[in-house]
Amino acid sequence: MTCQEFWDSMPELAPDGAPELGEHLRGCPACVAVLARQRQVAAGLRGLAAESRRVQAPARLEGRLMAAFRGEGGMTEIPLRARWWSPVAAWVAAAALITAAALLSLRSREAQPLPATAPQMAAVDWTFGLAIEDAGGGTEEGEFIALPNAEQLPPPAQVNMVRVELPRSAMISLGYDVKAEEAGEMVEADIVLGSDGLARAVRFLN
Amino acid sequence: MAEHDRESDDELLLRLHSGDEQAFAALYRRRQAAIYRYALNMSGSAAVAEDVLQEVFMVLIREGCGYDPERGALSAYLFGIARKLLLRHFERIRGNVPIDDEDAGSVMLELAVDGNQLSDLARSEGIAALRRAVQALPRRYREVVVLCDLEELDYADAAHALGCPVGTVRSRLHRARALLLEKMQGEAGPRRAGALNPIRCSI
Ligand SMILES: [Zn+2]
Repeated sequence: MTCQEFWDSMPELAPDGAPELGEHLRGCPACVAVLARQRQVAAGLRGLAAESRRVQAPARLEGRLMAAFRGEGGMTEIPLRARWWSPVAAWVAAAALITAAALLSLRSREAQPLPATAPQMAAVDWTFGLAIEDAGGGTEEGEFIALPNAEQLPPPAQVNMVRVELPRSAMISLGYDVKAEEAGEMVEADIVLGSDGLARAVRFLN
Repeated sequence: MAEHDRESDDELLLRLHSGDEQAFAALYRRRQAAIYRYALNMSGSAAVAEDVLQEVFMVLIREGCGYDPERGALSAYLFGIARKLLLRHFERIRGNVPIDDEDAGSVMLELAVDGNQLSDLARSEGIAALRRAVQALPRRYREVVVLCDLEELDYADAAHALGCPVGTVRSRLHRARALLLEKMQGEAGPRRAGALNPIRCSI
């Protein structure tokens, strides 16, 4: 059995000590090592599963459903809260959108290349409270806010700023108060994009 | 309560459809958490997860909910409904921001884990890194990890929930585990072709 055939048999999904796997492993320390790491991941997933067990649906939902069950006729009228937007997905989507645009060498009118060595970038603190001086000085633009994960990324050699539209609900994950009825509205935002294609910061307009 | 605990899902469903409120409550309490966590892990949004869970049980309340015990367990059927609702959610997102999910996953992968965290897996930091890595997986791989590894469905139930063959569940899980290992080792970690061999599977 070659290493390829060994991994094609998906040994990490087989029960420990499956006899057909032992034969290859006895002669192949490389696969032994990878399989051991795979087992570490599997053990980590069991730990994650155990930790996740604490997560339950909010208690209010049981009350709503019981009322629906009793009411029967009114059952179909329970409104969904219409907040169908994932903040995480919003940031990912925005970052990927920008990456795609960069790959295609498409640049919108608003995109402004900002070399990191330029004077206005001196004020940038990539690790906390990211702020970029605004050359335009528009009053309707808010401050730049570092995105979750930005602090774990290396400082980019060069950044670009791209204007995009996002649902207002995307602001929730950054600590803004957003009314439920406004969550679906689109807001304009400038996104700071590193030369590696990853979004670092955002500011919301108006 | 104890009496309900001993009843199977199918027995509870039968009584639920004859109007037994206690049976409904028992079935809800038994199944809510796993479906909620699945929706939460797939959407990244507590609000979406709550709405999905509500809709799943609204479907169940309705007469003729379409559940067929011959085809699989009730829990798998409930995950399947949740999945359809989530797909509708993803369609809406795509309407707002045109973006392929696989791209979204790969961008998140880049954001997910920094350095070699494999040796930390026995500690909470390592578990947290693994959680980020799972959340960053492309959707088709994330859902098998969530269903099989986190919610501990067997492959047959996962296949029923996903509407695909058992072999597809296994091959996706194989690929997902390889991606997780790669991320947990960090970009600098050695690439093992054997662990990362591409697999063929349909969408
Ligand atoms: Zn080998």
